[in-house]
Amino acid sequence: MRKKLNYKRMEGLQGYVFILPWIVGFIAFTAGPLIFSFAASFTNYNITSQMDFIGFKNYENLFTADNLFWTSLYNTLYYVLFSIPLTTAGAIFLSALLNQDVPGIRFFRTIYYLPAVLSGVGVYLLWMQLLDPGTGLVNTALGWFGIPGPNWLFDPDWTKPALIFMKMWSVGGGMLLYLASMQGVSKSLYEAAKIDGASSWQQFRFITIPMITPVIFFDIVTSLIGGFQIFQEAYVMSNGEGGPVNSMLFYNLYMWKKAFESFDMGYAMAMSWILFIIVFLITIINLKLAPRWVHYEGEER
Amino acid sequence: MEEVEMAAKKRDEERVASAPAYFDNIHTKRKLLSLINFILLAAGSLLILSPIWWMISTSLKSMAEVMTYPPTFYPHEWNWGNYIKTWKAAPFDTYAINTITITMLVVIGSVLVNSFIAYGFAKVPFKGRGILFAIVLSTMMIPGFVTLIPQYVLFSKLQWINTYYPLVVPAFFGSAFFIFLLRQFYMTIPNELIEAAKIEGASHFRIWWTIGLPLTKPALATVAIFSFNGAWNDFLGPLLYLNDENLYTLQLGLQVFKGEMNTQWNYLMAGSLLVLLPVIILFFFFQKYFIQGINLQSGGK
Amino acid sequence: MSKIVLKNVYKHFDKKVTAVSDFNLTVEDGEFIVLVGPSGCGKSTVLRMIAGLEEISSGEFYIDGKLMNDVPPKSRDIAMVFQNYALYPHMTVFDNMAFGLKIRKFQKDKIKKRVEEAAELLGLEDLLHRKPKALSGGQRQRVALGRSIVRDAKLFLMDEPLSNLDAKLRFQMRAEIAKLHQRLKTTSIYVTHDQTEAMTMASRIIIMKDGVIQQIGTPKDVYDNPENTFVGGFIGSPSMNFFDGRIVNSQFIADDVHINIPEEKMAYLREQGYAGKELTMGIRPEHIHLLTGEEEAELTNSILSKIIVSELTGADTLLYSMLGTQEMIAEVESRTNVTAGEDVYLTFNMDCAHFFDKETGVRIRPEKSAVLVG
Repeated sequence: MRKKLNYKRMEGLQGYVFILPWIVGFIAFTAGPLIFSFAASFTNYNITSQMDFIGFKNYENLFTADNLFWTSLYNTLYYVLFSIPLTTAGAIFLSALLNQDVPGIRFFRTIYYLPAVLSGVGVYLLWMQLLDPGTGLVNTALGWFGIPGPNWLFDPDWTKPALIFMKMWSVGGGMLLYLASMQGVSKSLYEAAKIDGASSWQQFRFITIPMITPVIFFDIVTSLIGGFQIFQEAYVMSNGEGGPVNSMLFYNLYMWKKAFESFDMGYAMAMSWILFIIVFLITIINLKLAPRWVHYEGEER
Repeated sequence: MEEVEMAAKKRDEERVASAPAYFDNIHTKRKLLSLINFILLAAGSLLILSPIWWMISTSLKSMAEVMTYPPTFYPHEWNWGNYIKTWKAAPFDTYAINTITITMLVVIGSVLVNSFIAYGFAKVPFKGRGILFAIVLSTMMIPGFVTLIPQYVLFSKLQWINTYYPLVVPAFFGSAFFIFLLRQFYMTIPNELIEAAKIEGASHFRIWWTIGLPLTKPALATVAIFSFNGAWNDFLGPLLYLNDENLYTLQLGLQVFKGEMNTQWNYLMAGSLLVLLPVIILFFFFQKYFIQGINLQSGGK
Repeated sequence: MSKIVLKNVYKHFDKKVTAVSDFNLTVEDGEFIVLVGPSGCGKSTVLRMIAGLEEISSGEFYIDGKLMNDVPPKSRDIAMVFQNYALYPHMTVFDNMAFGLKIRKFQKDKIKKRVEEAAELLGLEDLLHRKPKALSGGQRQRVALGRSIVRDAKLFLMDEPLSNLDAKLRFQMRAEIAKLHQRLKTTSIYVTHDQTEAMTMASRIIIMKDGVIQQIGTPKDVYDNPENTFVGGFIGSPSMNFFDGRIVNSQFIADDVHINIPEEKMAYLREQGYAGKELTMGIRPEHIHLLTGEEEAELTNSILSKIIVSELTGADTLLYSMLGTQEMIAEVESRTNVTAGEDVYLTFNMDCAHFFDKETGVRIRPEKSAVLVG
């Protein structure tokens, strides 16, 4: 009604000042690049000399003329499909163990969480040593049980299981997420269930699990987005090659090689949009499926 | 008459017999379960810690001992000199100074700017706040590589390749995850506190500085630690933007070192451990804030 | 000091919900106004509009003749006490109280003097270096008060300041706030849902319901002459009794009970055309008396009723019974030993009874006839 600049409007302006850094960053580092990338994905852009519009040529070539594209997609899907159920189940199992009256819970929590905060080249080097067929700890330990260990990073069939195995080491990150949410479940629910005659397993199955479904959902959504972007470990552990026999050529690694080694920028950006669409669709599917199994307490949506 | 007595006697006997059984049942079962639980957790933590022990052990061995088969569990000869040799084999001090410089700048930027932005989203009403915050959250879904390639183009046009700008500047424009985390925390501060300060005559900027910052210290610690970890462990950024070896970070240096050392695992493990050490120390001192970050996440979705 | 005026003030939320409609009020300098009503009646919204924390959707708000609608909170020269006190947890008691003065760039020694004066007034001298966490509920309440009085603001706003305290402390703080007001004489507006607080502290009470003012008046005024059934029922504890019935031949008839109406009341009821019509009678429990002898009962306007529950509250006894099919509470002396199930004679002090229009709930006033005639 009042059109002049009153103090509430002034306050609104202050709000924009507060979020200004984000707005600038969003335009410069997210929205702008997205638009550029989308446009450039229809060109033969190579950062230096050429940027000609070539229509859907990049996308066409990806789907019809590029075997490595399919290999990298397969590798990535393989990794995602195995690592996420394993880490999720492992994290829930571990947090269930820790959510009991056990002596030394704080100590255990620290130990299990530690690997989750370690990352970078140091960790990958450590695992290259652990998985070394001759001098590594993993095969030595398997040897005690009479199991001949595989050649891990040198055998194309075992490179991805090796990376999944390494991922399992940091299961403690998810564990903390679940533990926090389990500890938030009201004690009275368990007491009511006990009086109703539920066993420990039934309490876990019918109370704990439903109550932590929002966190399971959150974990799955974020791990899926993260899982599709596996890059650093594959880069370091295969010396940037993706070998042996392209078995560690994950989607992002292939994109990297296209963009920054052969400078096929337009092509790489087309690849990035395909990944974006895949991740977007999976997230949408997740969101659509959520109401069927995710239980939100109270009137939260 | 007798029958009745017999029946009564029998009932008494049953009661006597069942009482201790019942007693045993609930207590021994609980004790047994908790023992199994404890053993599982203890065994698991040995499993989790063994890679770290292996790293320490290998780093102290001589090369001859590394190569012995079967591998030894602890170094028979403690070669502390490995660490000095490692440090001197590559310009690790330059790498360390570079990494510390970048990390400090990123931490300062992340803490101040994200807190500022999050205050705006949490405590200053303005038009479009909800939609803009939804955009903040949705940017977390965008795969990094989609914006990475065009960002590289942008930075190369700005002549920022082979400088620290691409690694540091974006930290001063907010990150979706940290904004989300801090906003969560701000939401727990009662609005009345802000309103009381408004009535007392404080502007929003003053309220942010004198009330917002001090009251969100724990969450700021979490942001500081997470951004420290992110910058310290960042491999992809330096790999993409730094060419000059004088500018290399520890992660990049370690990768180069790996190429030079080939399979000299004792030196490689010593190097890895040195690079990981600050993170490990930080973790043991500030574990609380790591865990708090996780809790804020799980409460958020 | 200050005089405030609210003229036709409305508050809409999201253009749909109307939280406050047509609010008109003039507060004279030094008054202690209490806004009272059930939760959601808009009383806090009015206070927040006065503070500048909510925008006024339409209407005008003046302090000392100056239009304040577009003035930010910090320039309105007001102080406010919040329900949860809103003390800054990271600051000491001293810093909490000094915050507003620091922002207004007072000199250090002056700040110190002011804070110390306020602390002395509230008995906080020994707590100045503590943080709010280390204080009891009552002490926090005092700090919140102290923070507001150091600024020496024109207008003092309080939003349910006592509702987080236990009954005993509430009683004590009530007296203390009243004492403070007598001393400082700052114009104050106080919001509460507790009618006892309103009755004991206010120089004038404003009763609100669904965003609309029901009545404005001194405590005595609203108690003795409630404007409508809502006010009658809301103010006073236990609540006023209401009986639906009709008037026939100078008698109020509810179900099969007949009660004589004094001629003076009957005159204006008749005049306004209520004779023979349905209406609502209201009478406070303390105006229903117990009769001891049957002879007495013969003489006065009394009914025989069976006591369902007898509740001793200390000084008084509450007798629950029925008037025909409608519930009735009488407040009688505690010495009377009436037990549940007993039949007793109760008499109505009809001079204190009120009659309300059955449709609108508005009290039928004698003055009204004059207006109508004139």
